[in-house]
Amino acid sequence: MSIKTFKGGAHPPERKHRTEGLPIENVRTVKQVVIPVNQHFGAPIQPLVKVGDVVKRGQKIADADGRMTVPVHASISGTVKKIEPRLQPNNLDGMAIIIESDGSSETAFLPPLDGLSCTKDEALARIREAGIVGMGGAGFPAHVKLAPPPNKPIDLVIANAAECEPYLTIDERMMEEAPGDLVLGMAIVMRALGVSKGVIGLEDNKSHLQGQLESAIASRHYGNGITVQLLKTKYPQGGEKMLITAITGREVPSGGLPMDVGCVVHNVGTFKAIADAFQEGKPLIDRGLTVSGAACKTPKNLMVPVGTLVSDLVPDVIQIDEEAVRRVIFGGPMMGPSLPNWTVPVQKNTSGVLFMDEREAKVYEEGPCIRCGRCMRACSCRLSPALLNNALKANDLDLAEQIGVMDCIECGTCSYVCPSHIQLVQRFRVGKQLVRAKKQKEAQRAGK
Amino acid sequence: MPANNLLLSSSPSSYTRGDVRKIMLAVIIALMPSTVYGVVLFGVPALGVILVSVFSAVAAEALFRLATKQDPRIGDLSAVVTGLLVALISPPSLPLWMAALGAVAAVIFAKEFFGGLGANPFNPALIGRAILVMSFPAAMTTWHAPFGALTDATTMATPLNVVKLGGSVADVGAGFVERGLASAADYNSMLWTLFVGNRAGCIGESSILLILVGFAFLLALRVVQIVTPLAMVGTTFLLSWLLGMDPVFGVLSGGVVFGAVFMATDYVSTPVTPLGKLIFGVGAGAITTIIRRFGGFPEGVTYGILIMNAIAPFLDKLRVKKYGFVPPAKPAKEAGK
Repeated sequence: MSIKTFKGGAHPPERKHRTEGLPIENVRTVKQVVIPVNQHFGAPIQPLVKVGDVVKRGQKIADADGRMTVPVHASISGTVKKIEPRLQPNNLDGMAIIIESDGSSETAFLPPLDGLSCTKDEALARIREAGIVGMGGAGFPAHVKLAPPPNKPIDLVIANAAECEPYLTIDERMMEEAPGDLVLGMAIVMRALGVSKGVIGLEDNKSHLQGQLESAIASRHYGNGITVQLLKTKYPQGGEKMLITAITGREVPSGGLPMDVGCVVHNVGTFKAIADAFQEGKPLIDRGLTVSGAACKTPKNLMVPVGTLVSDLVPDVIQIDEEAVRRVIFGGPMMGPSLPNWTVPVQKNTSGVLFMDEREAKVYEEGPCIRCGRCMRACSCRLSPALLNNALKANDLDLAEQIGVMDCIECGTCSYVCPSHIQLVQRFRVGKQLVRAKKQKEAQRAGK
Repeated sequence: MPANNLLLSSSPSSYTRGDVRKIMLAVIIALMPSTVYGVVLFGVPALGVILVSVFSAVAAEALFRLATKQDPRIGDLSAVVTGLLVALISPPSLPLWMAALGAVAAVIFAKEFFGGLGANPFNPALIGRAILVMSFPAAMTTWHAPFGALTDATTMATPLNVVKLGGSVADVGAGFVERGLASAADYNSMLWTLFVGNRAGCIGESSILLILVGFAFLLALRVVQIVTPLAMVGTTFLLSWLLGMDPVFGVLSGGVVFGAVFMATDYVSTPVTPLGKLIFGVGAGAITTIIRRFGGFPEGVTYGILIMNAIAPFLDKLRVKKYGFVPPAKPAKEAGK
């Protein structure tokens, strides 16, 4: 099969070598976890426990009704010490349940369920009950993607194995160590959707995994219909829209969702979590992540309980050159937010924690736009960033909307390639807010 | 506990190491073959024009920014490029003070008054040249044969001049033989001489071969896109042929290749959209040829590009369709596919 890709994009230095070959290290002994109540994209949920309650690993501790909600589970056994706002990886304070470990290894998992024979409703309920959200970054509730309206027929399930963000290697390791779980997760999702075709989209910097994945598929009866597609290594291939276009050639319509072009995309980590939820009845309570960066003395691939404070991993699990750290990122360097400290919990969607040194974290002063057009060619959404930037600088929101500011996926490729280091994506984020605010105002005025 | 000097800017946190200075440096390197050969052709006077022009451009920018209390920008090398370009599109016998004036005009009038780097609507070097042509028509149209002292005895018409004054393409070849620039008067020898660049003309415009070397370098580094130069030269070729002129001679003889490679690819004064670039190239080539055929000047590259510069902002409206574009007339009806 030929190597496919999308148009545009860039190739930032991968810097994956630090953690590429390292097995995932399982961390079990954390003294406490700080579990943010809201870790998904959607309606907020409420704690089900109160201070002083004793909880078991796997027990549901927060939930609410509503389509766009997923519950949260205790990731260690122990006592609820506090329920209070804490700093989350999105740089905001959010309500969090703090559990102190009692050292026991008791669990309260769901009963195992055969995802290949249960009903569709049972499968969706299980995925929701297990608290599964998109593990690639956005934290979109996984079950919602699996329940498209009847007028949106789905014909393809895609496993996002691009891992296009530099530094991160956790998905790669997961596929190396548990390829069968990925296949099982995909099979369950395909069955729930009534889809016979599945594709694992793998960037060719991980082409060594192709054979292994293919034999994992071939050796399982439910692997039928699943193939591996190699993709040219390029950022932002792991963007849902870009991945769909690379694999199928289809373009998700502006303002639409993957289901509009018959696709459902999940990160490989999400498929693994789904497989765990059926095989072991285990909710999404452990998170694999890559810890790296030049200021991290012990780059590693880790599996930690959700809610583990990164600061609690120091110094037993990871060591940091505190003098050298200039930037702490949750996620990858292209889209991950920078945080003011690392007393921050690992969430369901935390794919990595990076400790960058002075050289890696270098920021540049914004220069004048010389209209070189690099951003125009790099923008995988074909949004003419240079012109969009001008429109927003002139506060011309109508033109910005016309050019397509609302279609920006905020991948940051434009800012990355700009030789004048203009804060393009940063301005587009603000622009999106301004356009939304303007629309709200117009709607209010029309309503009166 | 953790350090309090952490950077907190919005993502991305990784940036390319490329910058404006490196781009300008690439352009300067790409201009070097033509520059050096210009000095080989026309000797010390050409070198003088080049050095004075570059120095004047850099000094003018620095002094202007000092006087207007703006940060100096010598480091980005854009003034060096402007000064070098002004020199390369000037005749080698240009008095040095005129070269200085042209460079200063290019930097101050065409660039700094509009806001400096990135803000000039017109190509600064061409504005510098246009001002010089209007102010000193004689000095700007005095040409010399290469490989000799620039004296009255060595003046020689440019190939386009020969044709403009009623001569034929064969006359150009005969002229080359007379001056020892071609071994034979046949058509192919004449074209070869033009391609190598051993002819009267501006300092840097004559050697098509070396311009193409620079162009290949810029393309390899992805500093410029091929579309504008290709469209401009292609249009010149086609339209010359349609208007009954020798198209190969037309492309090789004047400044159209130099203009297409180094002026029509100027980022700031040309469109950023792909379709805009194509139309820009076609328009510049067409105007160049029309001026050559019907206008008063033998060469039209300067005005071909300057006129298209004027409509570049309009051409920027020809954006590519965004990803997932849905025509507004029938909103998302076929979205399911």
